[in-house]
Amino acid sequence: MKSIKILILCILAGLGAHTASAQSRSPLSVNFNYSGAQPLGSLSDYASKASFRGWKAGINYGINDRWSVGLGFGFNDFYEKTDRMVYPDKNSDISAVQQRTLQVLPIQAVASYNFAKADAKVIPYGSLGIGTANMNYEKYWGEFVEKENKWAFLVSPELGINVPFGKYSPVMFNASVQYNYAPYTMNEISSFNSLQGNIGIKFHIH
Amino acid sequence: MKRVIMFMSVAAMATVLLGSCRKQPLDNLTEEESRIYVTNYDDKAAFNSYATFSIVDSVAVISNGASARELTSYDQQLIASIKSSLEARGYVAVAKEAKPDLAVNVSRIDNTSYSAAYNPGYWSSWPGYWDTGYWGYPGYGYYWPSSYTVFRTRERSVSIDLLDLKNPSKEGNNQLTAVWNAVLRGSGVWSSNNIGSMVKAVFDQSTYLTTNK
Repeated sequence: MKSIKILILCILAGLGAHTASAQSRSPLSVNFNYSGAQPLGSLSDYASKASFRGWKAGINYGINDRWSVGLGFGFNDFYEKTDRMVYPDKNSDISAVQQRTLQVLPIQAVASYNFAKADAKVIPYGSLGIGTANMNYEKYWGEFVEKENKWAFLVSPELGINVPFGKYSPVMFNASVQYNYAPYTMNEISSFNSLQGNIGIKFHIH
Repeated sequence: MKRVIMFMSVAAMATVLLGSCRKQPLDNLTEEESRIYVTNYDDKAAFNSYATFSIVDSVAVISNGASARELTSYDQQLIASIKSSLEARGYVAVAKEAKPDLAVNVSRIDNTSYSAAYNPGYWSSWPGYWDTGYWGYPGYGYYWPSSYTVFRTRERSVSIDLLDLKNPSKEGNNQLTAVWNAVLRGSGVWSSNNIGSMVKAVFDQSTYLTTNK
């Protein structure tokens, strides 16, 4: 019984906060970001260069001033070209210029928590994205490609800030850093790890 | 709900469109970089146990269902380059009647039909490839160790095959074993200008191919 009371209080508190939120910004928001990502771990052994071909977008619904839930999408293209090298295999050797690529397209459910109220000049937040990612692995040996496409579980904790363009402005500057992890294995990649930076715009839709 | 559906549609379209904004590897290759050189070897072979070799006097041009032996200027240069490379490793060129330890078959493969997978040495069963009788072993077949790396292919390539004539039936009756093989693949492999660098590459990565070890 006690827990039910607490639950009802929480719901009432949430509804109250929702009302307050509705007075400031509409609960529905979208964000569009440019993304860069640094590969880590075995991914950097495969393609060590940072990816500057990326983006992310999301749609969120504010449950109250603090909590929101939504969906996130994105893209990152990891790429590295090597000099000509000889790659030994079992009883064989292959001399080739390799181009190693991995395209990642995540689709995640996202829960976010704002560390400041809606009227703050800067609204720091933390979020957790959980979902899946399409992993498109293509390793070119000269002009010959070795490839595989598959889906992998992906989790992405994120910390960032939203900076409204004026008090209660529906438009906000957004910057964040997120870590991406997927238990993805393919040849030399034993797991997918990357540190991703995002910069963009978030706006609330009426 | 309409706005959510609209956003989802835009996001899906953006995913497809922006997902195509990737580096295009095939647009980022020179002709030299497009080529790969694959060498395979029989790990049971003792390459320093061979002393002599003989190389074919022309090149087998193997394509789907058609066959020819040719000796173009390219073919002459290719044969000469392989011959001098083997001599530089200590092997002595002899006539095929002098019972060489190694036979060298050279083929140009013009494979215009897509093959999802193939067995190594598949070209040895095609018309145009040298019959084992050419090397004094009529009725024999060819044996290719199963560990050979193979690729899917739709292309022109060059194959250089070293066959063990010293131990003609070591893998069973009536089989000549391919103890070493090189495949040159990619753009420009049938160009005379590239013969020197391609043959050098396959010998450089086959340091075991010598009479001195």
